[in-house]
Amino acid sequence: MLIRSRTSSFARQVGTIAVTLLGLLILTFVIGRMMPADPVRAIVGEEATQDTYMQVYNQLGLDKPLPVQFVMYLGDVLTGDFGTSIRTGQPVINDILTVMPATLELATLAILIGSVLGITMGVIAAVKKDRWPDHLIRVISLMGHSMPIFWTGMIALLIFYAALGWVGGGGRMDDYFIGLVPSVTNFILIDAALAGEWEVFWSALNHMILPASLLGYSSSAYITRMTRSFMLDQINQEYITTARVKGLSVRQTIWRHAFLNIRVQLVTIVALAYGALLEGAVLIETVFSWPGFGQYLTSNLMIGDMNAVMTCVLLVGVIFIALNLLSDVLYRVFDPRTR
Amino acid sequence: MKIQAQLRLTAAALAVAATPAFADTPDDQLIVGFSMTNILTLDPAAITGKETVQVLANVYDGLVQLDPVKRSEVQPDLAESWDVAADGMSITFHLREAEFASGNPVRAEDVVWSFKRLLTLNLAQASFLKTYGFTADGMDTAFTAPDDRTVVVTLPQKVNPQLIISTLGIVGPGSILDREEVMKHEQNGDKGAAWLSQNSAGSAPYVLQQWQSNNLVLLARNDNFWGEAPEMRRIIWRHIPESQSQRLQLERHDLDIAFQLAAADLGAMQNEDGIAIQTTPSAGFYYLAMSMKDERFQNTKVREAMRYLIDYKGLNDAILPFYGKEHQRPISGGFFGLLDDPGYTFDPEKAKALLAEGGFPDGMDITLRALSDDPFLNLATALQGSLAKGGIRAQVVTGSGDQIYGAMRERNFEMIVGRGGGGQLPDPDSNMRALIYNPDNSDEARLTNFQGWRTSFMDDQLNSLIDAGASEVDTEARRQIYADIQNRIDEVVPPLLPFSEVVTSAAFRDDLEGFVVNPSWSTDLSTVKKSR
Repeated sequence: MLIRSRTSSFARQVGTIAVTLLGLLILTFVIGRMMPADPVRAIVGEEATQDTYMQVYNQLGLDKPLPVQFVMYLGDVLTGDFGTSIRTGQPVINDILTVMPATLELATLAILIGSVLGITMGVIAAVKKDRWPDHLIRVISLMGHSMPIFWTGMIALLIFYAALGWVGGGGRMDDYFIGLVPSVTNFILIDAALAGEWEVFWSALNHMILPASLLGYSSSAYITRMTRSFMLDQINQEYITTARVKGLSVRQTIWRHAFLNIRVQLVTIVALAYGALLEGAVLIETVFSWPGFGQYLTSNLMIGDMNAVMTCVLLVGVIFIALNLLSDVLYRVFDPRTR
Repeated sequence: MKIQAQLRLTAAALAVAATPAFADTPDDQLIVGFSMTNILTLDPAAITGKETVQVLANVYDGLVQLDPVKRSEVQPDLAESWDVAADGMSITFHLREAEFASGNPVRAEDVVWSFKRLLTLNLAQASFLKTYGFTADGMDTAFTAPDDRTVVVTLPQKVNPQLIISTLGIVGPGSILDREEVMKHEQNGDKGAAWLSQNSAGSAPYVLQQWQSNNLVLLARNDNFWGEAPEMRRIIWRHIPESQSQRLQLERHDLDIAFQLAAADLGAMQNEDGIAIQTTPSAGFYYLAMSMKDERFQNTKVREAMRYLIDYKGLNDAILPFYGKEHQRPISGGFFGLLDDPGYTFDPEKAKALLAEGGFPDGMDITLRALSDDPFLNLATALQGSLAKGGIRAQVVTGSGDQIYGAMRERNFEMIVGRGGGGQLPDPDSNMRALIYNPDNSDEARLTNFQGWRTSFMDDQLNSLIDAGASEVDTEARRQIYADIQNRIDEVVPPLLPFSEVVTSAAFRDDLEGFVVNPSWSTDLSTVKKSR
């Protein structure tokens, strides 16, 4: 009975995911077709004759009715064929395997920075509520949230790269290192380490630290606010007073008791912030010439490269679903009441 | 005292840390910043736009190459020499001894195959040859190889042979491919297109080592190059779409050349030590165009009035430094037959009088389309102001390329401020076909590659003169034809009014030698050296 119930619950979950992804695809397809972007013109250029235009139009299958195009696309996707990108002429999957590691590396470092910064500031703000550290942290996190990251990126480059020379400029490494390390995983830090090219490794880290710090700072704004609010909920509860009365220090009360009780909620917040970073930080990627997922998705959207766009949207959908499932699982691990 | 000493030491340490150390780019590698957004393939038959030409000019040779300084001239490349038949209907090219990067010899058969491939695939670059009557059906007659070192091009229609020779100097239609190498990688009858989008099969000083879309293009020295070996071992083309990022990297010595700088950054760097800026005429014009689908613009007086509502000097001085230079004729600077500018000036009173004569004493309301990018939005805003002085109340509509030029291609617009007009082929015929020529003004014809058709302008006399100009062989007679064309344009006022000629502005470290921007985009970087 229990097994049957679990099976049906699992089936329901899989069904929901499938319907969500299908809905996402339909929506993207419709929006993509309504956008004023002409993939044929992108391929043939401004000066092409009409016969060239029509030849490519038909080659892309755009002469077929929209529902037919969609069904054909869906059929291909179900057989694992995500099509070829107009922008690169390569299978979309190969492209994603190239751009995604660049984003993953950046986003992972960014979320580490953002979490440490955000959680620490959030806890301090809650403990020092309405005192100067709280106000200062509010200003810092509000700035992170409200300053356009494009502008922050330029200013940071101006200071830390151009004026001080502490970090590398755009790109994933210094240009003369390009091509020195064989691409095995496309994670430049891993590839450089595997090849034993430590100069390349440090150059890559040097190029990554500034965009990752900016993204981390930007994410930390949200994490700080949420941490503060979760902590305040806990601090006001009776068990905290009891702990203090029992003689525990403030530090022990905050970190061993209050904080442990908010980690479940924090996991969800951090997971969602990570998801948003993976989806692509297109502005930072543009300022830092970072060949990541955000730039790939946006530049393909601009030319109506629908195979690429649909696959990217599908991937983002899968990432968010996976992160949600992961936070569900972690809830179960950390919170015995949900078991 | 001790504290003071410590403070001094700390200050000194901070000063050292805060002073950036400029490490130059390597002596034997050239690092170039540009935008790769428009690069969708590196197959010479399928490329579009300036950036791909800039890259492939260093990878593929043509039979001839376009001179970077004397715009109307061509120089030998894979062809050492060429002869034009007495009747002007064929050109015989004599090839030099050369090898492709693969080590295969360059044979006449490769040349012929490259041109046939271009016409068979019928992609972007084919239009250069199709313009002069070359077709896939007639290609076996048009291109022949009597022996390994000789290529004969037979003209399908009467055209000045010099036009064809120049066309074959353009990167793309004129690029010669290693047939054997390409066909090794053919998939599903694509004549190697998929492989060539990521690889190269040329004979020029560099080979394509790697292309990562919107990231980088890596060119490595071709050890089999037939000419003088370039000093630069590699050319690394970096995708840096943001102008200010490019500027910072150039200033920090991390870039050698920056191709994609905005006017504001170029202006700011003009007097900086260690940086030089080269501004060279390029292909096309900035123009104000009207649609003659709109009845109001069918009136010559109205079109003429617009001529006097453009502040030529103001636009060029205030908005277009580093983008364009003042130019009013629809023929590029330095091209054969170009007359002096007619000297139109901003004259709202004259415009008002013309509008009144044309039946619009109270002016009119129009929409003015413009790309939302630099410099178009600024141009549109300035034009809105100058048009208003003549009573033309313009509402500016901005959008993406597909929205703005798309509307023009659909002939569904009133006025547009745009850029274009041929000129990659260094001959006035290129400008005339792009801007004026229109052999069929019906909607069904969909001659979207002609701006004449897009603006619904058709003048039989101009069409005949343009055809005559393309086929005339006698230099003086041809010069007279282009003079007649320009005078006729003054008189009939086509609805596309150029006010500036596009220029290419590149900033570079001043330790570079031999860097000359080619007006036809095909800048040869194999001549670049670093003097350090």
